[in-house]
Amino acid sequence: MTKSKTKVKLLAPAGSMDCVTAAINAGADAIYFGVEQLNMRTRSSGGFSIGDIKEVVRICHASGVKAYLTLNTIMYDHDLRLLQLILKEAREQGIDAVIAADVSVFQQCMALGIPVHVSTQANISNLAAVEFYARFSDLVVLARELTFQQIAHITSEIKRKDIRGVSGEPMQVEIFVHGALCMAVSGKCYLSLHSQWASANRGACVQNCRRPYKVADAETGEELLIDNEYIMSPKDLCTIGILDQVIETGVDVLKIEGRSKGADYVFETTSCYKEAIASIEAGTYTPDKKTVWLNRLNAVYNRGFWEGYYAGHSTGEWTSTPGSSATEKKIYVAKGVKYYGKIGVGEFDIETGSLEQGDIVMLIGNAHGMVKMKLEPLMVNGQPSEKAKKGDKITIPVATKVAPGDKLYKITEANA
Amino acid sequence: MPKLIQYRDKCIGCGICHQLQPAWWRMSKRDGKATLVKGEKKNQTYVREIPLIEEELIRRVVRDCPVHIIKWV
Repeated sequence: MTKSKTKVKLLAPAGSMDCVTAAINAGADAIYFGVEQLNMRTRSSGGFSIGDIKEVVRICHASGVKAYLTLNTIMYDHDLRLLQLILKEAREQGIDAVIAADVSVFQQCMALGIPVHVSTQANISNLAAVEFYARFSDLVVLARELTFQQIAHITSEIKRKDIRGVSGEPMQVEIFVHGALCMAVSGKCYLSLHSQWASANRGACVQNCRRPYKVADAETGEELLIDNEYIMSPKDLCTIGILDQVIETGVDVLKIEGRSKGADYVFETTSCYKEAIASIEAGTYTPDKKTVWLNRLNAVYNRGFWEGYYAGHSTGEWTSTPGSSATEKKIYVAKGVKYYGKIGVGEFDIETGSLEQGDIVMLIGNAHGMVKMKLEPLMVNGQPSEKAKKGDKITIPVATKVAPGDKLYKITEANA
Repeated sequence: MPKLIQYRDKCIGCGICHQLQPAWWRMSKRDGKATLVKGEKKNQTYVREIPLIEEELIRRVVRDCPVHIIKWV
């Protein structure tokens, strides 16, 4: 009758291969990614193609990590053939589930025997909706606007009523714990379509909401005074400080937003939440640790943080600046050339800017995700040196293999 | 005569070009992207001449493509 006590799982975003690796290295239990144009990050992420499904699934499964494919846009008739091609390849490669909102995807997945997770795009906000979707799926991602009480009610009623998904297992519930929020209900936004024919529901959002606005009287032209020009741009969700309450609601999966963000974001967010989950389970979830995690989360891309609607806030908190409020920024400096495995040294060509001995640098690549290190010692054009500039060839000790095309960034304070 | 150019590989298949002028565009059932009818293919780029009299419609489709992959010269 009741679900056995299982540990809450952590689901990380991956918009590129280096993010897949970063998520795995940071301890994600599962990753989600999109291919071609039928996912909600078509415009903003680098994008995988159908041919990449095999490699993503292979890398994930080799580490015991599950791989979920997002196919969560609205679908038109002309998309159905492509959808079928993607799903056939996904099944062939052993995808663990498809995240979808359109019933055409549910139907095709059921016909092919692929598990379905219902996307937050379906805006599931009540138990009846969960019961309805249980006919097609095994997991629902709830709308992001619910409160802890509403979520706990849904999870406890799933247990009490023994609501089971299409596979016969108890229905699972997933919620977002970190990342960007949308001004519209869980992504159902038409603003971008209205202004530039760019449908957010086809992954083409131009983010009108992230710009500053003025409010003017249409008759007189007089501008109204408002205290924040960014009146439609919510701060990012961050629940690291209330994660015990999140887990207490009985949800099964915690999801991090960010398929259009870099490997550094994926690594830091995933590892912070992974550590927080472990601390809660071990009874060592302390204010000091929360402060450390928050500092680390603040260092990577964010629009300022708030705790979302979970704690019962009736309206959103809005950002007051454009772009990211991250305390650190990464500046591209050099590209990887080769790796001398026996001595553990990587060679890079500096393409722009400069580096100094002692600088903190970040290496991003498909094989290792994101690795941070201190430049010490630094060899420039074969000689020990304090500084390196554009055009120089540098060699530095690196613990992981450097491949051609890997990118080396210098980390600095964002306001430096 | 103006040339309409489509950089097809970046098409997201939203269908706005097809809605604006079905005679120039069809939605491919093969990969869900828009195809420039009678377009001459050069790598992943498709080019077709359109009479200047259609300038307003050309401007409209260039403006409204959400991923800006349609140009005209």
